[in-house]
Amino acid sequence: MNKDWFLSQEAFDALLKWLDSDREQAAMKYEEIRKRLIKIFTGRACSEAEDLADETINRVISKLNELGPEFEGDRGRYFFGVANKVYLEFKRRKSPQPPQFTPPDPNQIELEFRCMERCIETLSEGNRYLLLQYYGAEGSTKVEQRKRLAEELGIAPNALRIRAFRIRVCLQDCMEKCIKDGLG
Amino acid sequence: MNRSGPLSGDRQLNLDTDAEVLRSYLLGTLEAESRAELEEGILCDPAAYDELLLLEEELIDQYLAGGLSEAERQQFETHFLVTAERQNKLRFGQLLERYMSSQKVPALSANVPVPQFNQTLTSGRSSSLLGFAVIAVALMGISLLTWVAVRRPVEQPAIQHDQSRLVVVQLAPSSVETKGVTVPPRGSVKLELAVANASFKNYKSELFRENKPLQTDALRMETNGAHQIVPLTITGETLSPGDYQVKLSGISESGQDEFIDNYSFRVNK
Repeated sequence: MNKDWFLSQEAFDALLKWLDSDREQAAMKYEEIRKRLIKIFTGRACSEAEDLADETINRVISKLNELGPEFEGDRGRYFFGVANKVYLEFKRRKSPQPPQFTPPDPNQIELEFRCMERCIETLSEGNRYLLLQYYGAEGSTKVEQRKRLAEELGIAPNALRIRAFRIRVCLQDCMEKCIKDGLG
Repeated sequence: MNRSGPLSGDRQLNLDTDAEVLRSYLLGTLEAESRAELEEGILCDPAAYDELLLLEEELIDQYLAGGLSEAERQQFETHFLVTAERQNKLRFGQLLERYMSSQKVPALSANVPVPQFNQTLTSGRSSSLLGFAVIAVALMGISLLTWVAVRRPVEQPAIQHDQSRLVVVQLAPSSVETKGVTVPPRGSVKLELAVANASFKNYKSELFRENKPLQTDALRMETNGAHQIVPLTITGETLSPGDYQVKLSGISESGQDEFIDNYSFRVNK
């Protein structure tokens, strides 16, 4: 890719148009593709997964003139092909590094824990109950406890798993905000 | 778990058997060829991506609970934790574990008050017994009427909603991501529930707000381009901000409900 190339609003709009004629749908597809590319680079142990995902997207954008609107292939697969090239180049210039850990400051941990308590308090009664039941069981009782909880809620075990995951993601978002605000 | 979805075009991702493959992928022990196939699935198949997100969190919990083998633990530390995002997730898992160990987990169904009928029956005079019987019959009648009102599927009326105030939302089954919906004033929401199983003529939906049942509707399938959908229209008055679930069942020839899938959405403030 030409090093002098930069992402302009026009180029980005062209990408959206290439992804879908409906701009809103296109924006959603763009977000989905970016998230998935990040996961793929993470899966390949690239610590700069986000940068590589953006690099992949930029390269696809720079090729749009050649591809044209008549491109009929699977867009996802096209991104995947470009991502493979970006990865190979990355590997050539950088050998995999072990994860770098910075030991957390004990005060920071306490702040985070208080945020967690506060965020759990903001959950609805039903979600708090589900969270406690789902994550509260330990060891061998966990499987049985979750099975009984699914029965009690009248949902399939996988639906329970997904519901617990969603609550967890909500909690992570709430904590992120709480930590950023220093408990508000 | 019987979900499946297309993986790299030609084959179906069987999440029962491929959970191990995804786990190996997360730990960085999957061989290159399988990895490439799986990654294409992650990019093109929502079911594969969703499952990956779920397994990521579950792997963290297993690591914290000491449930990984020595080799897996090493892979987890040297491969899985490569990004700051995953390190933050691990930290979140540690905090959640600490929180849970500080809590007394309520017994299942602890939030459902159990009526103490026996106590009342044995505590009073015979006239109280008669009074209780009358009240009990009345309560049972009210409960039955309420149950019928909530449970009985009501055929969705032909669309009478103001189309300019109708928000259309496409929902995929069992997606881990919740779509947000903003309901316009005096508007309605049309949910298009994607279904893979088109073997039913009639469907039934049950709408829940944070596990509490709100309404039940009788529905029919429609075709939207190449997709089969079951449309469900809900008036804005029913939808206050919060998380909602729709449980979709097919109605068999014999009139029995057969659970198909769950769908979720969030009504924004």
